[in-house]
Amino acid sequence: MSGEQTGQDEPQTGQLERVSDIGGGIGSGGVDSGRVGGIGNGTNRLLFTTLLREEWRLHTRLFGGWRFASFPLLIVLLAAGATVALLETGTAPSTIVLGLHVLALGFGLYSGTAGFAGSNMLENVFGRLSLVLSSASTLPLSRRRLLGIFLVKDALFYAVVFVLPMATAAVPIGGRSATTPTDLLALWFSLSLVFAAGMTATVALIAVRTRGVPTWAIALALVSAAAGTWALDGSAAIESVRTLIVPLSGSLPAAVGLAGGTALVAAASLALYDPTYGRPTRTASDRFSQLRAAGDRLPFADDPLVVKTLLDLSRSAGGVWKPFVSAGILLALVAALVGVVREITGIEPAPGIFFGGVLGLAAFTTYNWLTQFDSLEFYLTYPVAIDDVFRAKRAAFVLVGTPAVAVPYLAAVIRFEATLVDAAVGAILLAGYGLYYYGLTVSIAGFDPNEFLFDSVRFGTFTVGVAVAIVPTLVAGFVVVPPTPTLAAALAVAGIGFGALGIVLSGRAGPKWAERYRNE
Amino acid sequence: MGILRVDELRKSYGAVRAVDGMSFDVERGELFGFLGPNGAGKTTTIRSLTGQIVPDAGTISVLGTDPTTAPLETRRRVGILPEQASPPSFLTPREYLEFVGDVRELDEATVAAGIEHWAERLGFASKLETLHTDLSRGQQQKVMIAQAFIHEPAVVLIDEPLANLDPLVQEQVKQFLTAYAADDNAVFVSTHNIDVAADICTRVGIVADGRIVTERSLVDETGDSLLETFLEHVDDADARDMPALERTEIEA
Repeated sequence: MSGEQTGQDEPQTGQLERVSDIGGGIGSGGVDSGRVGGIGNGTNRLLFTTLLREEWRLHTRLFGGWRFASFPLLIVLLAAGATVALLETGTAPSTIVLGLHVLALGFGLYSGTAGFAGSNMLENVFGRLSLVLSSASTLPLSRRRLLGIFLVKDALFYAVVFVLPMATAAVPIGGRSATTPTDLLALWFSLSLVFAAGMTATVALIAVRTRGVPTWAIALALVSAAAGTWALDGSAAIESVRTLIVPLSGSLPAAVGLAGGTALVAAASLALYDPTYGRPTRTASDRFSQLRAAGDRLPFADDPLVVKTLLDLSRSAGGVWKPFVSAGILLALVAALVGVVREITGIEPAPGIFFGGVLGLAAFTTYNWLTQFDSLEFYLTYPVAIDDVFRAKRAAFVLVGTPAVAVPYLAAVIRFEATLVDAAVGAILLAGYGLYYYGLTVSIAGFDPNEFLFDSVRFGTFTVGVAVAIVPTLVAGFVVVPPTPTLAAALAVAGIGFGALGIVLSGRAGPKWAERYRNE
Repeated sequence: MGILRVDELRKSYGAVRAVDGMSFDVERGELFGFLGPNGAGKTTTIRSLTGQIVPDAGTISVLGTDPTTAPLETRRRVGILPEQASPPSFLTPREYLEFVGDVRELDEATVAAGIEHWAERLGFASKLETLHTDLSRGQQQKVMIAQAFIHEPAVVLIDEPLANLDPLVQEQVKQFLTAYAADDNAVFVSTHNIDVAADICTRVGIVADGRIVTERSLVDETGDSLLETFLEHVDDADARDMPALERTEIEA
């Protein structure tokens, strides 16, 4: 993305080329003044293929053709490799299948997180990336129709480039037999269904938001629903969750019900979606100077770059609660996984170590939120060093990220009754791994964490970097319950070590990305 | 010697030579127009002048600083108005200008006075408390103009100065830029709008193929129009983004 947003002449030429491609495609397809009244399935197909082509070109242009084309292969390697490793260590196949579904659901929810943030994100992020999606004002196409086709395209696109490679885990699970292709297809359909359900849930939230329902009310409803489900803690509730998120293990009517429900909610969401929704113009008192004046009392308030980042975050749709919601979603998914694994195997991990290790991953989404409202190019027009920009982002990350993961972590260790040692070690892991994941993200992705997901080289590096820390930790968390003093000490040292590494990585990111931007 | 000097500047992106032997000087008191079609190398030149990118070759001097080796010093001294739309910031114009004053290390009184002055002058005083992202594009452009001038720099680099402005404000901005340059400052305006360049610039450099192909003064000049000069020096390949541009003889 950075290449296209730099304002330099050459990428602009690239954008113009894309406009003409798309314009030509639509024009030739017949969305002209003579057919406005008769736009039908032909136009839908044309829009769909145009959006699909645009999506493909966007990714291949951002990351380079082979780097994006090899992304599904990377997922195949990761999915199949991890499955083989888990089977070798005695993990039940049903647990692996469950884990894959949790991942697919999480990815589905995440795919719509930008939309969940509200209409400003929809316009600024999606509109910037997809020229066809933002063409409702220039072509005789309704915004609702464009959004609907866009989402169908997204679901199918990701079902092929992301979910299908994940489904190759069916091969090591089932062994190579005559039924392998069928098993693979069944797992793919099951994962795709859960992925689509996750996406649809997010779309529904967008639709509700466009009807003027405040973000805080949506967040409150979600938290209440999650807390209510969690409080039930019965095997029936656990079974219901498992049936819902693993259609492959449930009955056919349940799977059909989920598919029908997803389609119904998606259709209702589009019907509810108000394309004319416009937030009333907002005003604000001068918080910038107030915060700067409090620089001697509040941490980091003496840095204008930090203050700007925090104000941008707090005033964007969803406010400072966005990182909390992201961490909450992660907590809910992991808690569901733990509950179902316990039901299947009777094994329950050390909650402090397990949740401390996993919740640190929220560093990625928190950093993503902190970089949504500016760009390095913006700062390069002022006497501001790129190094200082990254330092400010790290300060903001600590300020926002700490409570965002501390609250769900505390809830988890209390709910799952962690021992004191386990909770203390988990807290060290949470802090250390959070800093490490942050440093890893900044080092690999710079200022565009949301855009390296489909760059196979960067994504592969990130995945390996995360796995190095999290896999041994989770294994230890499952195998030694409660943790022995030796294991607790070793993990605490690991947490501190990875935290230090994260600080070094994020500290080096400034000079690294300054060099890269200036010598592009 | 000009306060803004470029000599044999070169910059390539892969196989594409964006800037290829660019040379020019701008003196105090000048409003220099950097006129050329899209893809001619204008934005790359501005990014080199402000130290945002490192050129492959050539020398640059801006108010005695070298933006290649001391980009922060250069950016501290100049004002920059980029063509790229500003990100969707959620600061208000007042807060945004305070932020700019802060990173430019201006004292609070200067910033406060500057905010009132520019808001009044450009007509966004009633919008000072509105979130930047909720402003119209024209209002956002006004705020961006204000940030470029709030520290009263001796050199201002502007990419498409009148984008998104209504005709009345366009006229105000044109008059202001002319007066600002005449007050012993230098204003460097990059544009592909020939009328804008003809209207406000004291001198114009026409850019094509990554270099200045001709320069001409617009002070007390008669003879060929700027459009004629432009068409003489920008060949078909350079004007590829303006396919409809061709000579038309109009009979009286």
